[in-house]
Amino acid sequence: MTKFPSLLESVGRTPLIGLPRLSPSPTVRLWAKLEDRNPTGSVKDRAALAMVEAAEREGKLKPGATILEPTSGNTGISLAMVSKLKGYKLVCVMPENVSAERIQLLKMWGAEIITSPAAGGSNEAVRVAKEVAIEHPDWVMLYQYGNPANARAHYETTGPEILEDLPEITHFVAGLGTTGTLMGAGRYLREKKPDVQIVAAEPRYGELVYGLRNLEEGFIPELYDETVLTTRFSVGPRDAVKRMRQLLTEEGIFAGVSTGAILHAALGVADRAIKAGQSADIVFIVCDGGWKYLSTGAYDGTLDDAEDALDGQLWA
Amino acid sequence: MSITVSLPTILRPYANDQRRVEADGSTLANLIDNLDLTYPGLKSRIVEEGSIRRYVNVYINSEDVRFLNGLDSELSSGDLVDVLPAVAGG
Repeated sequence: MTKFPSLLESVGRTPLIGLPRLSPSPTVRLWAKLEDRNPTGSVKDRAALAMVEAAEREGKLKPGATILEPTSGNTGISLAMVSKLKGYKLVCVMPENVSAERIQLLKMWGAEIITSPAAGGSNEAVRVAKEVAIEHPDWVMLYQYGNPANARAHYETTGPEILEDLPEITHFVAGLGTTGTLMGAGRYLREKKPDVQIVAAEPRYGELVYGLRNLEEGFIPELYDETVLTTRFSVGPRDAVKRMRQLLTEEGIFAGVSTGAILHAALGVADRAIKAGQSADIVFIVCDGGWKYLSTGAYDGTLDDAEDALDGQLWA
Repeated sequence: MSITVSLPTILRPYANDQRRVEADGSTLANLIDNLDLTYPGLKSRIVEEGSIRRYVNVYINSEDVRFLNGLDSELSSGDLVDVLPAVAGG
């Protein structure tokens, strides 16, 4: 279907693209799920729309209400678009070390931004948002890290779309942030194909982001259930940038840095399948396009330059 | 059998402010015990009641050990162990 009554109805049903050049062999194949084809250009449109509609159904969101959300960017941009079309105000709590484009886009869609300190990354954004929520009890915090509608969006849409397009799927690889994509699509795929492997790629940021005062300040999203995962890889900016550039030069797909991290994990999984003499159909998520990261320097110069440029940034 | 262990900022005070330390160990538990001999107090920041602490993630060659064999995960010379606090993404 390519005709929709409004932009909101066009969320999802993204294409799954084969990658003949990056696939290591004719029997170990990589497939990219292009979530940048969503209305605001990221996978987060699915969760944002689902969380807003769930809150409406539950009577938590009344016309003209203000939504509050801690976000490093994409969820905020998606919520800003949904809020604009549905008549809500949006206040985002965002760490100061995110790309300039994310802030520009949020403002363009009409969101108000409260910044949280760079040190501590999204942990701090969550902490500040919880404080703001106490000061403004009438604001509605959707709280993507613990909102079941986030994972449910992927259980009901992303997972079924993938299985319908590629019934032979053996591995699903996605980024671990709120964990919504992996928990939702992962659970769905597991239920339908018990042998499918669910693989998480977690961004490993620079020192600044881990600048907690003590270990008790650590954070695990309430949605996270490790039994859904087969394994979990930590991927640093160097590998993420290398793969992001490879995806562009070899397959023509212009993706953001977090997608590079996911592709790195997908290629690792592909390599294991090759060594084990198994065939594999590996689906990975392209979270967003590269547009929002042009100013970070991720596409310029050597890998060393890009690694330096991303140090201290929340690049995923 | 030397293993390189990378420590987060928050744990460096327990290891003479070093970012990376070297230690021996055939398993992760063994490695952490050996580290604690050189840097007393480090173990209790990583391990609690026989398990890795809730807000600590440990990776062997980038793979989360909770999906390997946890503290019983085997190590080989040249392996890289990363210790990181759990932080939010999204």
